Amino acid sequence: MAKMKFLCDAERCIECNACVTACKNENEVPWGINRRRVVTLNDGEPGERSISVACMHCTDAPCSAVCPVDCFYTTADGVVLHDKDQCIGCGYCFYACPFGAPQYPQETAFGVRGKMDKCTFCAGGPEADNSAAEYTKYGANRLAQGKLPLCAEMCSTKALIAGDGDLVADLYRQRILRRGGRPQTWGWEKAYGAA
Amino acid sequence: MKLRKLSSQPQAVTAVDGSQAETVATGQGISRRELMRNSGLMAGGAVLGTMLTPGMMRRAQAASPADRTGPTKVVRSVCTHCSVGCGVYAEVQNGVWTGQEPAFDHPFNLGSHCAKGAALREHGHGERRLKYPMKLVDGKWQRMRWDDAIEEVGNRLLSVRAESGPDAVYWLGSAKHNNEQAYLFRKFAAFWGTNNVDHQARICHSTTVAGVANTWGYGAMTNSYNDMHNSKAILIIGGNPAEAHPVSLQHIFRAKEAGAKLIVIDPRFTRTAAHADHYVRIRPGSDVPFVWGMLWHVFENQWQDDQFIAQRVFGMDQIREEVAKWTPDEVERVTGADEETVRTAAKLMTEHRPGTFVWCMGGTQHTIGNNNTRAYCVFQLALGNMGVAGGGTNIFRGHDNVQGATDLGVLSHTLPGYYGLSEGAWKHWAKVWGVPYDYLVSRFDNKAFEGDQKPMNTKGIPVSRWVDGVLEDKDKVAQRDNVRAMVFWGHTPNSQTRGPEMKEAMEKLDTLVVIDPYPTVTAVMHDRTDGVYLLPACTQFETRGSVTASNRSVQWRDQVIEPLFDSLPDHTIMYRLANKFGFAVTMFKNIAVENDEPVIEDVTREFNGGMWTVGYTGQSPERLKEHQQNWHTFDTTTLKAEGGPANGDYYGMPWPCWGTPEMRHPGTPNLYDTSKPVADGGLAFRARFGVERDGVNLLAEGSYTKGSEIKDGYPEFTADMLKQLGWWDDLSAEEQRAAEGKNWKTDLSGGIQRVAIKHGCAPFGNAKARTVVWTFPDPVPVHREPLYTTRYDLVEKYPTYEDRKSFYRLPTRYASIQAKDFSKEFPIIHTSGRLVEYEGGGDETRSNPWLAELQQDMFVEINPVDANNAGVRDGQMVWVESPEGGRIKVKAMVTRRVAPGVAFTPFHFGGHFQGDDLRDKYPTGSDPYVLGEACNTAFTYGYDSVTAMQETKCSLCRIIPA
Amino acid sequence: MQSKVRLIAVAWVAGLALAGCYGKDGGLQLHQPGKYVGANDPLLEIAGTPEFEQRLERRFNMVQTDR
Repeated sequence: MAKMKFLCDAERCIECNACVTACKNENEVPWGINRRRVVTLNDGEPGERSISVACMHCTDAPCSAVCPVDCFYTTADGVVLHDKDQCIGCGYCFYACPFGAPQYPQETAFGVRGKMDKCTFCAGGPEADNSAAEYTKYGANRLAQGKLPLCAEMCSTKALIAGDGDLVADLYRQRILRRGGRPQTWGWEKAYGAA
Repeated sequence: MKLRKLSSQPQAVTAVDGSQAETVATGQGISRRELMRNSGLMAGGAVLGTMLTPGMMRRAQAASPADRTGPTKVVRSVCTHCSVGCGVYAEVQNGVWTGQEPAFDHPFNLGSHCAKGAALREHGHGERRLKYPMKLVDGKWQRMRWDDAIEEVGNRLLSVRAESGPDAVYWLGSAKHNNEQAYLFRKFAAFWGTNNVDHQARICHSTTVAGVANTWGYGAMTNSYNDMHNSKAILIIGGNPAEAHPVSLQHIFRAKEAGAKLIVIDPRFTRTAAHADHYVRIRPGSDVPFVWGMLWHVFENQWQDDQFIAQRVFGMDQIREEVAKWTPDEVERVTGADEETVRTAAKLMTEHRPGTFVWCMGGTQHTIGNNNTRAYCVFQLALGNMGVAGGGTNIFRGHDNVQGATDLGVLSHTLPGYYGLSEGAWKHWAKVWGVPYDYLVSRFDNKAFEGDQKPMNTKGIPVSRWVDGVLEDKDKVAQRDNVRAMVFWGHTPNSQTRGPEMKEAMEKLDTLVVIDPYPTVTAVMHDRTDGVYLLPACTQFETRGSVTASNRSVQWRDQVIEPLFDSLPDHTIMYRLANKFGFAVTMFKNIAVENDEPVIEDVTREFNGGMWTVGYTGQSPERLKEHQQNWHTFDTTTLKAEGGPANGDYYGMPWPCWGTPEMRHPGTPNLYDTSKPVADGGLAFRARFGVERDGVNLLAEGSYTKGSEIKDGYPEFTADMLKQLGWWDDLSAEEQRAAEGKNWKTDLSGGIQRVAIKHGCAPFGNAKARTVVWTFPDPVPVHREPLYTTRYDLVEKYPTYEDRKSFYRLPTRYASIQAKDFSKEFPIIHTSGRLVEYEGGGDETRSNPWLAELQQDMFVEINPVDANNAGVRDGQMVWVESPEGGRIKVKAMVTRRVAPGVAFTPFHFGGHFQGDDLRDKYPTGSDPYVLGEACNTAFTYGYDSVTAMQETKCSLCRIIPA
Repeated sequence: MQSKVRLIAVAWVAGLALAGCYGKDGGLQLHQPGKYVGANDPLLEIAGTPEFEQRLERRFNMVQTDR
């Protein structure tokens, strides 16, 4: 059984933000909501490295574990999705998430949280696949069309890889072998366990 | 157990003000963007609240799912944001651009994009576009009908022409034109009767084109992005492709992962430098000393390729004399890079051959830009890195079609195809256009200036100097009158230096016209109340045509959507203006016109018939479309089609694609590569500079392309040469008639080229590259200190040029500026560059919300040392002030990315001017989401000694808290 | 008589108003800890099937590799 994973190859990530705008483009994510972002360490100094971060679709997703209304569900290939009709915008998942993925639109002037929004691995939500209702609430459902998340598909240097974990690992291993370096699968242990 | 309401209301992702999103923790360290975003948070949120138009709100709330029904049409296009030329799959439903898929089978980008490319679909929204023709009446924007706009603008320009001659109107074209529009634009200026025509190439790579073409023949990237897979070393100087050409990094990483060494030389520790094996920081403006410093080690250790130099290089001995002066001590004194660092760079390039040499604006935008570019070429010649896969000078061009617009002559010093402005050049094009030469002469001002120089044959005013064309004393300008009308056709003003003087020039003009998809900074930076016109042009996604990538490949774009709002394609606007001016019938005699729109393919065919010099002759619209439909058949390293309808062709038929389309030349993937026959893309260095100099043979010796029947150097081909060689009868009778008395550049039948190639020869000859350009101010590239330098102690030894009385029609200052030491009052070097999210002047990209959100504030990078000395904290507003009085109010970004004594600003911002926010001066709803100070407001005087390129990489400033 | 009509009308309106509180489905949803009770995503039916995975694998090889 496949397990969908993201991997960002820090040796190739150049912080070009294509993943961020591809996500905006494909899902019409509004100003202020960032399902994906690029984090840079040691900016402007030797050792500068960047990583593109979004929901990692964790194996035992902490967000799901803490959700008071259990609005999360996981597909057979490990994509973590949620039902915005169930979500009460409480923000627990944000505190649980090790990657800072959950986003909340501000609904009123007093800062009450709206329904949580996050990366869907381009797999939409519970509504009929690729329906207008699904698109409006969650954005695109590329998986149902046989395509992978657009952020990874459009990555300028193919640093961000998305797909079945085995394929991702194979591809990355080949690169490491060529480079003669050690694999640095940032975030994998946290998201997908020690294995 | 909890009870709660079950809502069936769809919870659309709603428009928000941006503040909530910022609560996400991002771990240790903080990046440039986070800093800017966090610090600009309140401002950004507040601004958004007030500036979101109802349309924007609607867009943000609903993703127009209704548009997403119906059959999907997939259109193949090419990204318009840089010269990499990334393929695009645009999905269109009911005429609406609803999806963008990765063009994974495209040979350049394999589906990849940068932030700009991945946000292309926003062009289909165009929320902030200039929507209708408009004019400024008593300080208010008034909507117009197109017919009235053409009539009114036309009459004003005609009256300027009547009073002051054709040269008083300046036609500023664009690298955003496709090839057909670029060609028509140059032709249009010719029919108007002026050489006052130019575009962005002047201020980006003009010194490259001049320097490189004068070294070995053509002024373009010699290899390709893809060919870098073959490089064993990649040296990047004055370039930051990780931000400017992100997809090129994919190819660089492929090489790097196969063992290539990446060497980055830059005053800033750029995002590209972050991935380098060897990074060298140099003082801005010290490129020649650095390159000569590397070459000093090469010669000292006998690392040069003696055989290559003997066979294919002229003048290396004179270079050695100059290089000998650049001992490691002197190099360190001038550049700041120590001996070991410089030696390591030279050694890496020596031990990892073939290596490629990449440069961008950091090398070109200097008063000695042409010296820099030639020094780079000389280094590659010394190591024998030219004419081989994996080697070459890979000059990354900027805009998507800046290469094409350069080739097609949107320049003040040449006609299309680099034919120049001589009588012969005009006669060649008159013949191609089917008009009498005398007709063209009659369109120009025939008064002589500067002795016997007629405007038709003298270089026009370059874009970098248009301000002086307006403001300079009339008597000192080598044309009848000052420039009195400016037409900004796809060109922003904030990319040119000396902002305060530019504002004055704009206000002095009789008429100011913008033809652009956006109002641009031109609409707002002056205080005019009348005589300003904004005409909406559409983007390249709303029309079709060809575009030339940096690697000289010509690609075809199909039309994605109909022109938005009231916009029109550039070529339609040209036709309508030509019609108003009364020369449309003559100008378009070979070109069909449908509903005022010239048929693009007819334009392609017309330039196919005249562009013999650079080989834009074989790329017919039919062949271009064949390549476009078969992206997947081209190899991603060699770019050669393996099977399929384009079998054997190189993708996009990189020019030169010799002869007629029927000859089916495959294009030339790597210039000057003698390992291939000319018929398969091989070439030698061009015989452009004669056959002999000071008694030394300028032709190649013992080096020739594979299969050449002449086993040695030879001059360029002429009809007489064919006769001497006994090859004349290889021409058909018809070709003989056309070729009689002509050469490879002027024979419109293409017969001379065909026969030369048939015998394995390059039509342009087989010569040596020259390291000494005896026609330039500095024949051997030398170092000269910038006009505004922090190292005044070096001025005596490395002074700039003498002032010039007339250069591109204008007096030009050098020594008189350098005579004064400004470094005490203005102690910090000011340099500029790119951000990945924005392009050029930024009007288009700052109007794209997906991009604008990522860079909301104009900023200046300052080293902690300078910040602390000036009492400036990170995120604080500061004034950056120039010695000429221009000043900008921007946010301080304190970072070690720049060295102490160096400040960096990005050049994409505009819409603020010396502290004032000009947002309310834009036509309603056409203001970009993000505005900011243009860095060029604070950049100063200084122009390259050959091309008048502006100096924007090395000025002075002081920084004080605002 | 008239007051009775008014009473019925008021009761009817009140009933409508109350019903409005529960949305047009008019149902209550009982939360069961640890159990997802939202709408069923049709994707769940195809995700993990061999055809689905083969399609994504083909896509992976096309777009994610350096070719």
